[in-house]
Order: sequence, then C-alpha cells, then structure tokens
Amino acid sequence: MTAAVIFTKKEWLESWRTHRFLILTVVFLIFGILSPLMAKLLPALLKGGLGGVKIAVPTPTSLDSWTQYYKNMTQMGIYVFALMLGGYVSQEIQQGTLVNLVTKGLPRWSVIIGKAFVGLLLWFWCVGSAFVMTWAYTAYYFPDTRSPHVVLAFVPLVIFGFFFLSVLVLGSILASNNYGGLLFTVVVVALLYMARMVKGWQHFNPISLISDNMKILVGADALTKLWPAMVTAVVLALGLFWAAIKVLDQKKL
Amino acid sequence: MTCANFEELDNMNANWEVFTTYWPFLVPLIILELGLMLAAVIQVLRHPHYRIGNRAFWLVIVIFIQIIGPIAYFVFGREDQQ
Repeated sequence: MTAAVIFTKKEWLESWRTHRFLILTVVFLIFGILSPLMAKLLPALLKGGLGGVKIAVPTPTSLDSWTQYYKNMTQMGIYVFALMLGGYVSQEIQQGTLVNLVTKGLPRWSVIIGKAFVGLLLWFWCVGSAFVMTWAYTAYYFPDTRSPHVVLAFVPLVIFGFFFLSVLVLGSILASNNYGGLLFTVVVVALLYMARMVKGWQHFNPISLISDNMKILVGADALTKLWPAMVTAVVLALGLFWAAIKVLDQKKL
Repeated sequence: MTCANFEELDNMNANWEVFTTYWPFLVPLIILELGLMLAAVIQVLRHPHYRIGNRAFWLVIVIFIQIIGPIAYFVFGREDQQ
C-alpha cells in the first residue's frame, strides 16, 4: 500500500508542476461563474437579437442557472478534463518515465491506483469549485424556491466522473499516443448516448447520471431512481480500472 | 424623451450599464481569464520549444483567444520536458 501512496504523491506533484491543477481550477471556476451569468443575460440577449420584435421572455429563475451549470459541466467541462488528462498514462509509457520506478520495485498496479485517486480528487475539486460558484451566485441573484435539491442533483455528476475517469485511464493505456485515449473516451461516451435510445436500459445507463440532474434538482425524480445507473457506473468503473491494471501488467514500458 | 434620443443615450451608456449591472460576474471572470492568459504567456516565453507552431504563433493564440487559447497551448503546444 505504501507504493500506492508514494505514487499518488508523485502524481499529485506532477499535476501541480505541469499546471494541470491550476488550469483545470481556473477553467472550471470560469464555468461556475458563467452559468448564472448566462442565465441572467439570456433574456437580454434574446431581446437584442430579435431587434424590435416584442416577445414575452420569461424572467430567469434559479432553474435556468442550474440548467446552464449542468450544460457547461457535461458538454464542455468533461471534455476539457479529458483533454487535460489525455496523455495521463500514455505519456509516461511513451517517455519511459515509469521504467525507473517499476524496475526499482514499484508494483504496476500502484500506478493505476495513484492515477485513479488523483484523477478523482481533481474531478471532485473541479466540478465542486464550479458548483460552489454557481450555487453562491444563484442563491444571491435568483433567490427562489424552485430548485430545492441542489446537493442531491450534484451527487450523480461526481459519480459519473469516477466512471469517466476509468474510461480515460483505460483508453490512455490502450492507445500508444495522447489522442488515442481521448478518442476512446469520446467513442465510449457517444455509444452510451446512443444506448439511451434503448428503452429498458435507460435506468442502467451511466449517461443518466449527467442527463437527469435537473429532474432531481426540482424534485420530479428522487435520487433513488438513479441507483441502478450509479451502481452500474461504479461497477463498470472498477472493472475498467481492473482491466487497466491487467493491460499495464502486459505492456512493455 | 423621444425614441431617437433614447436610443442614442442607450448606446452611449450601454457598455457602462452592462458593467455596473454585472460587475460581480465580470470582475472575477476577467481576473481568472487574465490569470490563465498570464500563466500561458509565461510558459510560452520560458520554453523555447513547442510541439507545433512557434513562439509568435502561440503568443497570438494565447493572448487573443480567451480561455480556449491558453488551454490549446497547454494541451497541444507545450513540449513535454524530458
């Protein structure tokens, strides 16, 4: 276990020194501020865009702000995250930076454990800081009672991150370059979106974790409705991490 | 006030009004974007080698394209240190 702790420390230091942590934080904070701002500006933009035509634009509510937040997180945030972590493992294999550590007795599985742990921390930190930003602005600018389950709606997003990370790590190991891992991740997410069309699978599809957040927020759906998807996501993620360890064991460093 | 006058006044004050209304959003946004830009500019100047492009190219991208420019540099432009 000490090996995993050591590698986790190394991984953390790397995230810090390569500015990965800093860039992700800044970008997600920007997303967090942009979400309520977009909600606030949208009626004005609509009016401006239509010129003199008068239409009834409803006053924005906290729901618009949260809709923007989940849109930003799931349509931009996860891809920025994937871009920044694209060469998460492949880069180390390419540059041979693991050779020294492994030949000195670092078990290969600790590489994956360390990377998974730091990646998860990064994800939680990113979506969390954006969440706090959006929450603060929303509470101040849209003080209504339309979004009662703010924290509950956020939980599935964090769990989806765990799954997303496992896909990213496996993709990064399978591919021999930085962009192969990205491509793998995008393809998996696209396939999951397509699988949404299959009626019976919807409850088990991890994509529900990032598409049904608004329903939970307003209280239309209980969080318990997403249990199957959450369990599937976690089990799949553990399976993918296990596969990643197996692949890395066979891989020539 | 006639319609024409109002429009003129509106145009004059529009930018300022937007700022006074939305400054709690805009000030942190500007600080964050400038911070990201500065971090990228410092990196570009400190490291003479790039995976693609050259220094002038990356400086233009990083300074003139907000948010996406610096991310593009950190992801595609930065040469990994061996």
